[in-house]
This record gives sequence, C-alpha cells and structure tokens, in this order.
Amino acid sequence: MTIADHEKPDAAHGADAAPTSANGSAPEQPKQTPDKATSPEKAPDKNASGKASTPKSDKTTASTKSTASTKTAASERTSNSTKVAPPAKDAAAKAAAAKDAPAKEAPANAAPTKTSPTASKSAPDKTTGSAKTSGSAKPPAAQQTGADKPVASGKDASSDIPAARRAESSDSAAVASDAATAVRPHRPSPTPRRPAKPTPGLARAASASTVAPTLAAAEPAGAPSGGTPAPRSGRGTMVGESASASVEAAPYARGAEPWQAGGPGDTPPPTREDFAGTDTVARALSTPDEAQPYRELGLADDEYASIRSILGRRPTDSELYMYSIMWSEHCSYKSSKVHLRQFAEKAPRSDRLLAGMGENAGVIAVSDRLAVTFKVESHNHPSFVEPYQGAATGVGGIVRDILAMGARPIAVMDPLRFGAIDHPDTARLVAGIVGGVGGYGNCLGLPNIGGELVFDPCYQANPLLNALCLGVLPTDGLQSKNATGPGNVVVLLGAKTGRDGIGGASVLASATFDADSAARRPSVQVGDPFTEKLLIEACLELYAANLVVGIQDLGAAGISCALSETAAGAGTGMRANLDRVPLREPSMAAHEILASESQERMLLIVTPENLKAVFAIAEKWGILATDIGEVTDDGRLVVWWHGEVVVDVPPGSLADDGPVFARPMREPSDLPLLRVDRAESLPRPKTADELRATLLRMVASPNLCDKSYVTEQYDRYVLGNTVLAQPEDAGVIRIDERTGLGVALSVDGNGRFTRLDPYVGAQLALAEAYRNVAMTGAEPVAVTNCLNFGSPEDPTVMWQFAEAVRGLADGCAALGIPVTGGNVSFYNQTGAVPINPTPVVGVLGVLANVAERVPIGFQNDGDLLYLLGTTRDELCGSEWAWVEHGHLGGEPPRVDFAAERSLAMTIAAAAVRGQVTSAHDLSDGGLAQALVESCLRRGLGAMIGLPKTVSPFMALFSESSARALVAVPRGQEIAFTALCEELGQAHTAIGTIHASSENLEIIDQFTVSLDELRAAHTGVLERHFGGVAASPTA
Amino acid sequence: MRIGVVTFPGSLDDGDARRAARIAGAESIVLWHADPNLHSVDAVVLPGGFSYGDYLRCGAIARFAPVMATIVAAARVGLPVLGICNGFQVLCEAHLLPGALARNAHLHFRNRDQRLRIGSTASPWLRDYADGQEIVIPVKNGEGRYVADEATLDMLEAEGRIVARYVGENPNGSMREIAAIRNEAGNVVGIMPHPEHAVDTLTGPSVDGIGFFTSIIKAAAALRPASLTGARA
Repeated sequence: MTIADHEKPDAAHGADAAPTSANGSAPEQPKQTPDKATSPEKAPDKNASGKASTPKSDKTTASTKSTASTKTAASERTSNSTKVAPPAKDAAAKAAAAKDAPAKEAPANAAPTKTSPTASKSAPDKTTGSAKTSGSAKPPAAQQTGADKPVASGKDASSDIPAARRAESSDSAAVASDAATAVRPHRPSPTPRRPAKPTPGLARAASASTVAPTLAAAEPAGAPSGGTPAPRSGRGTMVGESASASVEAAPYARGAEPWQAGGPGDTPPPTREDFAGTDTVARALSTPDEAQPYRELGLADDEYASIRSILGRRPTDSELYMYSIMWSEHCSYKSSKVHLRQFAEKAPRSDRLLAGMGENAGVIAVSDRLAVTFKVESHNHPSFVEPYQGAATGVGGIVRDILAMGARPIAVMDPLRFGAIDHPDTARLVAGIVGGVGGYGNCLGLPNIGGELVFDPCYQANPLLNALCLGVLPTDGLQSKNATGPGNVVVLLGAKTGRDGIGGASVLASATFDADSAARRPSVQVGDPFTEKLLIEACLELYAANLVVGIQDLGAAGISCALSETAAGAGTGMRANLDRVPLREPSMAAHEILASESQERMLLIVTPENLKAVFAIAEKWGILATDIGEVTDDGRLVVWWHGEVVVDVPPGSLADDGPVFARPMREPSDLPLLRVDRAESLPRPKTADELRATLLRMVASPNLCDKSYVTEQYDRYVLGNTVLAQPEDAGVIRIDERTGLGVALSVDGNGRFTRLDPYVGAQLALAEAYRNVAMTGAEPVAVTNCLNFGSPEDPTVMWQFAEAVRGLADGCAALGIPVTGGNVSFYNQTGAVPINPTPVVGVLGVLANVAERVPIGFQNDGDLLYLLGTTRDELCGSEWAWVEHGHLGGEPPRVDFAAERSLAMTIAAAAVRGQVTSAHDLSDGGLAQALVESCLRRGLGAMIGLPKTVSPFMALFSESSARALVAVPRGQEIAFTALCEELGQAHTAIGTIHASSENLEIIDQFTVSLDELRAAHTGVLERHFGGVAASPTA
Repeated sequence: MRIGVVTFPGSLDDGDARRAARIAGAESIVLWHADPNLHSVDAVVLPGGFSYGDYLRCGAIARFAPVMATIVAAARVGLPVLGICNGFQVLCEAHLLPGALARNAHLHFRNRDQRLRIGSTASPWLRDYADGQEIVIPVKNGEGRYVADEATLDMLEAEGRIVARYVGENPNGSMREIAAIRNEAGNVVGIMPHPEHAVDTLTGPSVDGIGFFTSIIKAAAALRPASLTGARA
C-alpha cells in the first residue's frame, strides 16, 4: 500500500484495480475449517458475525474447561464478589452471592448445590416459565454445566470469528464438541447475553443463566444435535427467539432493547431482594448510605462528594469505577490542565493547523490535498510492570489515536529511557520494551524511523516508554470524535473485551510505584497487533466509504471513556447495552466491562442506514462489529446491563467536569546548590593523548554508542517510503510518491538539563528536536510533547512541571510553531525519588521534495566541513561531565531561538541549492560525537582544524546549542558562505572530508582510525544485552 | 505483463511488492486471499508480513487461503511464484519448497542491509543476475532461519537450487547460509531478504532487488502467450 493509495477513494485495496471479492463474503476462511462444507446459512449468517460469534467463541473457550472446572469457577466467582454480582449460574448462585447470604453458602463444591430450592425461591414470581423449564427438566448437574458454559460445535465455534482465531481455536472447538456430547445431547444455543425480551427474572440473573431458557425454547423448534445454527439476526438475537418465529426479517433490524416497551421498564419495580449482586441505579437510590470503596479506587473525599452532588445520589459501583478512571490524573489531566492552557494561549498562529489541542492528535496540512497527524504518548508504568506488553500496547494505543483522526498510520518512533546500563534489571527491561515496540510495530507494518535510547540511574525503577505515531490523511478526511445525531447507532469495532487492563489508568498510571507494583501486572493490557492491523484497514475502508459519523479509539478507561467523550463532545446522550459487548470472559461484571482497557477496539457512531455496510466491511477484514447502543438527545449516558440501568450520568461530568487542581509548587530546595556546582571546575583532559582517550571513552558510553542493536530489531523499510531513519538526525518519510512531498520528525529530551533548569531544559529539548528536523532540510511546522514527571502531589515536581510547560510554550512562540497535542505522564517515581523531569519534545517538519533531504553521513571526498553556530564554554549537564565524572550540576547551555531559526533557514536554503551534502546537529557529546557519527556512517575520514576561539577540549565536547556540522561540496563554498553571511549565520571552516585516510585527524591534537572508532562505538549494547532473548512472541 | 501480489490479512509488504513490479514495468494486480481467481496474472508474488498474525506458525494458516489452492496448482504446472519473507514461509508450508523457516538463532527480529551472493540463475526470477553476483538488499525477519535435513540440503546444493546465500555475518543462523532457494523447475523461488525494498536508492540501500522483477517480465515475454493462470481452481 502506498501512501498515495490513501488519497484514492478505496484506500485499502482499490488502488491497484483490486479484484477483491465484491461481496466480501467469507474472505478469510481457510479451507481446513470444518464449517465450510456444512454451512448452508453462511451468507445470511455472516452478517451476524459481529454479534453472534462472540458468545459462541466464548463458549468454546469456556467449554473446554467447563466439565473439569465448574466447581472451581463457581467458587471463584462467588468468593470474589460480595458486592458486585457474579455471573451466577442460576438463582441459587445469585442468592449465594447476595449480601445477606454468607459466603460459606456459596456452592463451593458441586454444581447441583446451586439448583437447590433456593433457586426457585429467590424470585419465583419473576422467573419465566422457560427458565423454570430448564431448571426442572434437566438433570441438575449435567444441565447446569451445559447451560452455564454452553458448548459450541466446531462449526459454531469457528464460523464467525476471524480466520486466524478460528484456526487457533479449532482444537478447543473439537474438545468443546466432545464436552457437549458428554454433558448433554443437544447443542446449546449461542450464549445470548441478553434475552431479546428480557423478563425481570432473567434480567437480573447473570449472563450464564440466561442461556437455560433459550435452550428450552430452541429445542422444540428443531435445533437438535446437528451443527446447523439457527438463523440469527444482525443484532445477535438469540437462537430461541429466532426459532420461535419471532425472527426479525432484516438481518440488520434492530431488536428490542431493554429500554424499549416490552423491556424491563414495563415490569413491576424491583424490590430489594432483586438487587442481589448488581448495583443498579435503582438500588443506589434505595441504599443511599452504603459505604463505597472510593478511596481504594483512587478518588479523594471531595471528589466522591462531587460525584454524589452531580448525581444527586450515591453512584452505583459501575459509575464509581467510571468516575474513578475518568477523573484519574491519567485521563483528566487534573493537575496539569491549568498549566497546559499556555500551549493554546501562547500558540503562534498557524495556517497549517486543521486540528489542535484537545483532539486525539493534532492535524497539520502539508499540501492542498494532504495532511499529517502525529502525537507522542507515554506507557511508562505498564512497561515497567510488564515490559513486553506494556511497550507493545503503548505503540498500539498511539497508533489508534492517529487512526481515530482519520489517518493512515505510516511510521512510529520510540523515545526510551532506562536505568543504569549495567543494573541487573535493565537487561530485562531493554529486552522486553524493545521487543514489545518491535513486536507490535513490525507486525503492524509501520516503519520505526527513530527515537531515543537513554540510560540514567534516575530511571532505574521507572523506565520511560514514549511512543510517537505519524499518520497521513486527505485534508478533507478528518474524522470527528463526536456522537452526533440522536438515533445513530453506537458500534464497537475490533477485539473482544476482557479483564486485561482494568484500572490501568487509575491504579497503574496515576500512582507512585512501590513494592507491590509487580502485583499490578493484571492491570497491564495485552496486545494483538494482528487484530490492530485488521482494525486499521477496516477503519480506513470505512472512512473512504464515508460510513462513519464519529469515531473514538478505546484506550485508557476503555468503553467508559469512549462513550462519555463521544457523547460529551456532541452534547448528546447515549444508551448502551453492555450485554451486547463481546466478551472474552463471560463472567465479567458491568464495571469490569466499562473499565477494561482491552486493546484493538474502536467505537463508531454510524447512521442506522449505514450499519449494514459497516458490518460488511468488518466482515471483510474479519473483525467483530457490534451494535451496542444508540445516540440519544437527552444528555444522559445510560448504560444497561442485564435489563437494568447500572449507569445514568451526564456524559460531560465524566469527560469534562473532572476536578482541576492548582497544586502547590515549590522550587526544589537542592536546586540552588546544584546550580552552583558547575562542571567547569571538573578536571579536563590536558594532553592530546588524554583528549584522544576521552573521545574513545565518550563514543563508547551508553548514551553515545551505536544504537543499531536496538534499531535492527525494528522494521524501517516497510511501506517503502522511509527516506531517512535512525541513526539520522530525524526520520524522513515520503508521503506523496508523485511530488516527493515528505515530512521529517525528531523526538528529543534531556532530563539532566531539565533537572538543572526545567524552563531552559524543556526549551533545549524543543530546540534540539527543531534543529534535528531542520538538519534534513525540512521546515519545522508543529510540536508534540510527552511530559514525563514525578508525582504532582510533590510541590517540587509540580514546580518542575510548571516551569517546563512555561518554557516549552514560550519556546514554541519564539520559534513560531504550535504545540498540536501531547501527553502528560505523572507519578514517574518509585518511593520518594522522582525521575529527572523529562519533557520529550517531537517536532515535525515538511520537506517539499524528499530527494533533497540531507543525511548526516559524509558523502564525498574533499567536501569542505563547516561548523555553524557559536561554541561557548558550556559543559554543565553535558554528556562529558556525566560520563567522565558522574557529575550533574550548574546551569544548562544557553538557548537561542533566533540562532536556531537562522540555522534552520541556512540548512533549508543550502539543501535546495545543493550546497550541503551532509548536515549533523551538535548536541549530546558535542562536535566530537558529530564528527565520529558522520565519519562512520559511510566510512569516510576527515581532517579537522579546531576553531581557535575555545580550547580544543571545549571545541570537541561543549554542548552549546544552535550548532551544526555541515559538508559543502568544493566549488560551492563561496556561495555557501555568502548564504551564511546573508542570513547572519555564524560559520567556521574546520576541515575537509578525507576519504582515503580512513582516519579522523584532529590537526595538532591526535589521529584515530575509523576502525578504532568503530570498535569503540559499536557493539556496546550487544555486550550488555546480547544474550537476552526478546519475548517469544516477538 | 501482469504480476499479482497476494494480500493476506496481515500482509505488510504487499504495497512495496506492487510498487517494485510497477517500477520494473509490469502491471501490478492485487490478489485477495479469499478470491481463488488469479485474474490472468503471469506471475505471483507472495509478499512479506505477518499473514494471519503468524498464528500457529508463520505461513501455516495462509497456505489454506482460497487463493493458495489456485496458486499451488498453477505453480506445479509452471506459474512463476516468488515468495518473499513471509511468502517464503508460506511456500514452505504449502510444500512448494522444501524445508522450513525457524526462529532466528539469536531470537531477535533483525533488520539490516544484507550482502547476498547469487548462487543459481536457473529461474525466470533470476535472468538479470549473474551466477556469483553479490547484491545488497534488506533483510528483516524474526523467523528467517532456513532449516532442512542434511539430505535435503545436500540435494539443494547438488541440484543448484540454492538461489542466494548470506555473505558476511549470517543474520539469522540459516543452515548453509541459505537466503533463497528454488523448486526443481525453477519457477518457484523463496527468498528471505527483501528485493522489493531495494528498487529505489531514495528508500532502499541499493537497486539490487529490481532484477527479480525485471527478470520475470523478460521471462514472461518469452513465454507469452502461454498464460497458465486463466483457469479457476
């Protein structure tokens, strides 16, 4: 797929006259699957895939263990839920789980216990006849097992799930069939999570128990032991309903909802007895004083009080979970909001900005037809707890943000920070995080074009995994995240919802690490890049067909966030039925479904007329699409579960009305002392030999050494548009093959500089990213940032944060490029010690013709080398001070945005005129590092005469900003220096490229061969991490 | 000349393969995994990527795709098929080529510019190369280590069916440095590195990969009009 394809109507596969099967029927069905030959109803059936497949495959999984572990499952479910209803198998289990039933009454040892007389007693008048039938007509144990975990036949298990999954599950499906035969002779129906016309008794019973009546209804209708599924409607209507002639004619007709006439609303009001387990709105009203575990969920007393005041009652369990997540630091930006406003307030005007702060990602026009969107986000905490999955889902999350804007994701970058390179835990984290970034990004087919790799003890127990994604879209292809149009359908697209990632945003990302962090592993999501790849292609096809009214990715806070933000964005309301949500684990409670951060899901708002077409595209790509609710005009977000209302809140109160703190701030008390401890007083190399030895140690140090051990684990070629990638200063991606239009991207940060002065440090990060982009010849146009800090509850951290934001906002104003979006990551500390404040800044630039890009490597023998910019006595916070002396003190280098702009203009002008053949920015490690990298890139030596204005040592290792090393072809030097004069750009001729020497010679100082440099510079990371295998799933 | 490039769910380098075909001068055709019709293409490329998420084993599910049934049948009677990376894995799973591709010996995904030596040009995909020619094209895989039993390896060597070997450091631990092999007739070639990523110096390390595509165009011209692909499976 070329990027240009994306501009064409059929972005996914039409560009090459694809003979794609027009009807998209059963495209992903390998022949070995048993269903092929035996599925006469396939065609109509396929339409239902989004809905109907879920329960079935759930069952497949469940059934494999049902006979063996019914007992365990039952006891587990009972024991872990005294408050929130377990999916009771029947009324007995429900009763057992009820508060007034002691836990010891739980049927801990045998299924039959649960069909005790309690069952019929619990709500005899509300249990439907069919439920009774099922309860009485079958032998309790066998029937209950079968009914609880209905067993799918091989056909059922596989027919509607994506092909790959099908193949995967074929074994378990076979087991399932056996189990079914053993347990009961009749094929149970697919699990309907929701009876189409719920009766009160059923409505309150947990999901599993709703199966029994279905069976009773289905059997007489003649779906005995065969593999033929009864027709299902697109709404996933249950078999029983269909078989009893209440089949909806149109496959996409929308069935009865719990909120419609005939639903539970018409039934007698529930009584106290009926609330066993599920905390509904009605129950919340009747039990206003029930104690709630809001503190455990991370909510403060006053936050809980405001929730009560918003709702006029206590929240239900589900509502409490939703508020706790949506009002968490991670989702609400409650500590950072007051500061982040500066990015908008101080933003320079930009005609390019199509969408800015507040959207999933900023969108920048790069031509009349094309726009790009980019954003960087953190996934720090999960990556420490479970490095592979934490990093993988970090990539997955930012990719979906970009996708939600309407863009095709086309590249990723990964700024990474770890503890000391030789710390025992670092190898685990490097292997896992690098493996996760690569495993996910490679499988998605996104080139990784750059990033950072930094080792510093301050990140020891708090590594930073930031991930950036770049996407491209037509300028008129921006997607909305607003759920407009009451009556429109809410569709959940993509993976099933499981228990992974529950509390990820609140528990994990919004608290400081402590000794128990490892126990939070279940809060980390698990990624499936294959599903995400299909999700991307399906979404792009939906956009191209103009089928989407609104779209939002599901990330932190999962369904809660997506429902509330889309409704709040449009000022509408929404009704959703959680029984429709395809689950990995049928026993999930309502609040778990709402809080789950399962990956690879998107929420779509679709007009009812387009629903069929949306389902067809999902079908083509083999992913689930499920209609879970509808947009309303009443300004309420109402969530139903088992026929009851479990959430009824104003969506804006979740999405926008979270608390906002102006937290106390105080300059760290050690800062004045730190600032006077200047690096200039450190012992320096005195002789030429010492200087040479220093250079060799520096280029072999963890932060300056060759990074290819990491970058080789990433695919940089896929999509065929990568023009520059690591170790270049910036990644460059072609976005239009015809015109050569492209973009350059760099992400940079320096925690040491920010520690010494957060205002200047943040500006230095911005300046470096800006400069790196400019080095390629691109014009920098927009900024994204990921602000990694310690706990906002620490006033000194809050001060660092405020200063960094102020610095960044001022810097963007000075450079004339706006911040278009970003991310804040607080609580990056273990115990009382925060990380160095680490704002990571991404800058995006535009290259009119990528063929004119400027690389870092020396190209031609004899080219003249110039040092642009002014070198000062600036070593505080430098790599030299850190590597050679472990020193961090003083004031960071001066920032000069005027000089940065001049430098950028010089390179851009020279690149177009062919006056530079290479350009490399000077930053970490100074001129010495730039020379070594430029020489080694293509193996060309150089002869250098250092400028006399400073000492040779300072000339080599100073980290003054706004500088670059450029190579100018012979014959162009007069024109180039004239250009510099014209733009007021300081420039010094410092030598020539000397290809034949194969040495880096510093005149009057020392000579070092490229082989020796290469030996020192490369292999460092392999020596530390080479023996550690990536995750087996890589 | 029509070169078909199959898109499986999870194929990633399909667009690159189509671009390479276009740059070489062919018409590129999308072949959809679920459609058994080959739409009269003269040759087929199975592209790189992670078809079906590499679930079960790389290529193990893709080989059962409807389009593969047609391709396997046509390949047995001469249709030129080039499997790149994941496509090579699919060809092994489909038993069009012997051996298998296992996890890299060092267990990492590895992406680097790799030097190869062409070992056999007795294939319509290799006309534009010379025996013993060295080329540099990207390698990028997590499971690219070619393995087979000794007898098979000996047979491949004896029959001159090792199309290319790694030169310098073996990037994945492949037996006998094998990077690419062909079937007995020569019409089916599997290669682990990526010729389609080396067709333009702007985006690749060289243009050494374009030869696979120009070769097949010439070969097809020589064979025309004996299209082997018009019939449905």
